[in-house]
Order: sequence, then C-alpha cells, then structure tokens
Amino acid sequence: MGIPFDYAQDRPENIEAILNGLDRYNPETTKIFEEYVLHQCENKTYDCYANLALLKLYQFNPPLARDETITNILVKSLTVFPSPDFSLCLSLLPPHVLQKSTSTSHSNPAAGDAPLTEAVQKLNSLNNLLASGDYTSFWNTYDGDDLFADLVADVAGFEDMIRLRIILAVSQAWRDISLETLEEWLNVDGKDFEHLMGVVGFKVEGETVKVPLNKENEAKGTVIRENVKFDQFNRVIRRAFEQPA
Amino acid sequence: MSLQAIPGYQQNGAARAVAEDSDADEDVLADDYREAVQYEQDDQNDLHRAPSGGPQAIQDLSAQLAAAAAPLEFQATLETRFASYDAFCGMFHQLLNSAQPLDIEAPSYYWAWDVIDEFIYQFNSFCSYRQRVALKNDNEEEISLLKDNPQVWGCYSVLNVLYSLIQRSQISEQLQAMKHNEDPVKYAGEYGSRPLYRMLGYFSIIGLLRVHCLLGDFSLALKTLDDIELNKKAMFARVMAAHFTTYYYVGFSYMMMRRYSDAIRMFSHILIYVSRTKNFQKSSQYDSIAKKNDQMYALIAICVAFQPTRLDDTIHTALREKYGEQFNRMQRGGPDSLPIFKELFKQACPKFISPTAPDFDNPELNLDPVEHHLAIFMDEVKNNMWSPTVKSYLKLYTTMDLKKLAGFLDVEPEQLRHWLVVNKQRSRQIRWTERGLLDGEVVNSSDLDYALEGDLIHVSEAKVGRRLVDWYLRNLARTY
Repeated sequence: MGIPFDYAQDRPENIEAILNGLDRYNPETTKIFEEYVLHQCENKTYDCYANLALLKLYQFNPPLARDETITNILVKSLTVFPSPDFSLCLSLLPPHVLQKSTSTSHSNPAAGDAPLTEAVQKLNSLNNLLASGDYTSFWNTYDGDDLFADLVADVAGFEDMIRLRIILAVSQAWRDISLETLEEWLNVDGKDFEHLMGVVGFKVEGETVKVPLNKENEAKGTVIRENVKFDQFNRVIRRAFEQPA
Repeated sequence: MSLQAIPGYQQNGAARAVAEDSDADEDVLADDYREAVQYEQDDQNDLHRAPSGGPQAIQDLSAQLAAAAAPLEFQATLETRFASYDAFCGMFHQLLNSAQPLDIEAPSYYWAWDVIDEFIYQFNSFCSYRQRVALKNDNEEEISLLKDNPQVWGCYSVLNVLYSLIQRSQISEQLQAMKHNEDPVKYAGEYGSRPLYRMLGYFSIIGLLRVHCLLGDFSLALKTLDDIELNKKAMFARVMAAHFTTYYYVGFSYMMMRRYSDAIRMFSHILIYVSRTKNFQKSSQYDSIAKKNDQMYALIAICVAFQPTRLDDTIHTALREKYGEQFNRMQRGGPDSLPIFKELFKQACPKFISPTAPDFDNPELNLDPVEHHLAIFMDEVKNNMWSPTVKSYLKLYTTMDLKKLAGFLDVEPEQLRHWLVVNKQRSRQIRWTERGLLDGEVVNSSDLDYALEGDLIHVSEAKVGRRLVDWYLRNLARTY
C-alpha cells in the first residue's frame, strides 16, 4: 500500500512539471488540465491531485470555470469512494453551490449557475449514499433521475467502477454473503452477475456467494506487544556508568 | 518589539474586557494590544532614527521592517487596510527587487515570523471583511470602493509574495541539503545566506501552509511542508507562535483529509509541548496562544470521537476539564452528537476565506466559507455517527447473529449491514510512517475487527499485551 496522495501512476510528465512548479497557478494551464480531465474520463485513469489543481485555478479565476469539467471531476471522485476525494473537491468549489436553493435564487435568474448548483447537490447526495453504505438506495437514486445519465456520460465505465468499489467493500467485511443482497447492492443479476463474480474471483454456491479470504475479512485477534527501543534504557545505562557501584 | 508593550495590554485589557459587552471581549483585547503596540512602535522608531546616521534608504527600510510586524488596529477602516497593503507591497518589493541583497539585520530573531504572520492575518481579515460587506449589502460607499480595487489583497499577489520569498532565499534547496546532511550554505546563494532572507523564506513556507488551508486546499497545504521535517529541532520550533501555528494547520488539514490518527498525533504533540513549557513561557506569549490551545483541544476531541485513541494522560485530563460533557456525547455518537460536532468545529476551525472578490450584485450568494466547510464536514459526521453504537455492542460478543443485533438496536437488518460496512471502511486509515506528510500506509486503526459469514458476525479484538518496560524502568529508577 502506501501511495502518497500526490502520486498518480499514469500522470504524464508535462502535468507533473506543472504541478510541481508555479505554473499550477497560471490561468493558461487551465486548458491543459481540462484536457487531462477528459483524458482521465476516457481512459479510466484517475488523478485527484491534478484535478484539485484545476479546481484551484477555477477558484482563483471564476470566469474560467467550466461547469461540465467540474461535474466530471466530481463524478470521477465518486468512483474512488470511500476516500475523502469528493469532499476535498467540494471544498474548493464556491460556497453557494451547497446552499439549499431558496425562493430568492429562483426568482433571480442572475444567480447564474443554478444548473451547477443542482448538479453538485445531487452528486453530493449520491456521495452520501455511497459513504453510508446504502448501495441499494444509491442505484435507485441513480436510475431514478435522468440528470445523472447526463452527468456521467463523459466518464467511461462509471457504473463498473462503482461496482468494483462496492465489491471491495464487501470483500473487506464478508466471507460469504447472500446472493440476493449482493445482487441488489451491485444492481446486476443473471448472466452479468455471474460474469462479474467470475472476474473478481467470488464463487456463487446456491444462494450464497463465497468471498475469498483476504487480510481484511479474516478478523483474527491479535496481541499488540510493546516495542522496546534501546533509547529507553539510556538513562539507566548512563547512571550505571556515573555511579560505579 | 512587542514584548515591552505586552504588560500594558494585559492589565488594561483584563480590566476593560470585563466592562465591555461580552461578545466584543476578544476584539477589545486585540484592540488594546494593537494600540499599545502601535505606540510603542512609534516611540521606538523615533528613538532609533535620532542617534544613527546611516544612508537614508536603508534607514527607511529598517523602519519599515520594524513597522511591518506591527499589527493593524482591529477596527481599521478600509483606507487603513488599503494603505497597509501598499506598505507591505512596497517593503517586499524593495527586499525582493534590489540589485543585490540588502545589507540589513532583522530587528529580532522572531521578526520574520511576525511579519509573515501579520501579512497573512491581514489578508485573512480583509477577505472576511469584504465578504461580510457584500453579504450585508448596505454600505454603498465601501462596496464601490471594494469594487474599484479588486487587486488589493488579491490571492495572487499574496501567493506571489510568499513564493518569491521562498525562491529568492532558495530555502527549499537549503532544507533539502540539510536533509541529506550536506552544508546548506552551498545552496543558499547570494540572498539565502543572509539570515533576514533565509528566515523570511522559511516562514513563508509555513505561511503557504496556512494560506492553502484557509482556502480549503488541504492536500496542497500538507504538500508545501515537504521540505520541512516536523520535529523539535526544526527552525520553526524556536519561535513558539510558529511552532504552534504549524501544528495547528497540519493537524487540521489531516483532519479534513480524514486521517484522524495523524491529526491526533499532531495535536497531541503540540499540546503536550505547551503544557510542559507553559511555566517557562513568558506569560504574554502564552496568553496569545491560549485561545488556539483551546481550539486544538476541541479538534482533538472531534478526532478522538471519530477514532477512539488512548491519549496522553495530561491531554486527557485537560480535555475532560475543558470539554468533558461534549466529549462524552460525541463519543456516544448518534443524532444527539451532531450539534456538538457542529459547535466545536465552528469554534475551532480556521477562519476560512474565499479567494476572489465576492459577487456584489447577488449578495445572497456570498455565504460565509466557514459554513461551506462545515456542511462538507458534517456530511462525514452523519455518515459515521452510528459507528460508536455498533462498536459498543460488538465489543460484548465474539459471535453474534446480525438479525438479533439489529433487533437490539431496533433497526432493519439491512440498515445494520450498512453500518457494518461503513465502520469497517472507516477503521482502515492512512497513517504516516515516513517521507512527506501526504505519504502513509493503510492500517487498521481500530482495536475491534469483525468479519461476516452470511448473517453471522465474528468479532475479534486486538489486545494490548502487558507493558513491562515502563514499569521496569520506573522501579529501577526508584530503587537505584
């Protein structure tokens, strides 16, 4: 494990250079970052640290902000739940996007980015469903609103990535789980379900699904033993020298 | 500079604070302090100017240096704030753009910290002020003034100053050399070898940490400290306020990245340090950090509620004294704990700012950024609030049927499954081991673990073995 937050495996060199230099504040790099976001969407890669840099540019230069790119970044960060990425992205957006729309902002069309506000709030509710482990409601909400289909249109393989994450969550806690529950949580059944189980190495046995053992779902009791360092004995040893008996 | 002024501030500050409207207590204190310092400052400058007769330019700059660290009056008008911005710009311009490094000494070893600190404080308070003016939308005159001067205290110019100071002093190169046990002087260059520039550069890094955190960019905030090693030997540890500020912002950034064990480690380190040294600190210095100290206790309470941890005894006792009731309720979780989380977060978070000029035409859009971050944070609290309940039950059993437990908790089995997933996910945390602050390994941070076979929950516990070394050492010391 142990991957630093600012590291991304597939990050091109030019992006790396911008991120490490002062060009990350240069509004002219916005274009490059925007293309990189699209690239991530198409190629199923992910680079949160670079996306945050783009959101920061938007934060500093609001006129440059493009709603579509913002929502793409948010959708991408949903696919890595339960990491804090989605929240970190939200932190860089202007405060009013989370404001519950009141009558005043409706009567006043100049309040501008109402579509963005709506999209962000809906994505936020999806994020909360994922973060609270309520996968069934997640799929219901997701299928129940046409807006989401538009929002994730650019992100290739969105549903599959979410499914893989759910499978990961399940594999951390379960050794076997009922078929019905898992189908509901993943929102697939029949052939597709069996195929997916084959891909991730879960075994379907009648009404239950066997999850292969891993470090997380063993739940072995351990005894933590203290770690004794030589330094702790410094004083005792020094004393022994200072006062020869 | 400020030390002499402080006894005065304490006395009449305390006397007047009682008399004033309680809400304004702090403001009054700050105000008094600033006035006192301002007078002192003027006196000093006059004295300083009279006897020595060096070249005028350097003279002026020295005066500017001394004046720059002087805090702004609290109720400063917009004009004063503008003027102060110009003064800062002028001074930094001279420092950075001279043909060769200026040959002047810093007035004191903590001067550089004071300047950067005040610079950021004023930036912070200006942005908050501007935001408030826009939200209230009733002062035409100030609004038009602010509209006409969007560049004043702009985030680009503030960042520009900090980054320029860092680059000029080549402080990053120097710090890297020190890490590899090389002589930093080789990398210091013309400017960086002078203490004035070096210290300014160094504290600008800490300043950046702070600015990024105020803007809500927590990962970048931690990234800026890549070259600084956090330990007692670091340069910032020599200035108490800098030491303190660094740990506060690092801890807070960790908390917002949900790395609670790292946040707890940061807060405990500095709180223990303060509690051990408070008797040696000049009382004035201690006073100025007392408020932040309380804030950090609030933050550590929040983090421990998220992730139960054994705290150092001194901290634990102090925490019980300050936030006993709130601490208990947060640890119990559930909907009752939400208002407490909210209250403590608001009380202890930095004063977040929006970097750009507010939208004066749509005043209702200019929400307080603190509310924004609070909302994001509270979502996380809500998703997590049942974990303490679940854990408290699981601790009692080694195996348990899910439906039976759901019956105890009075919820649907499906709901309990969600809670179990969430609790499991949250117990896996990234924890720092070495290298940069953003680095770390995923570890199981909880002493309780479980796995499910169908609806049967198997619970296991990590037991702590007997701690013998401490006991052994203590007895050795006693009998020896």
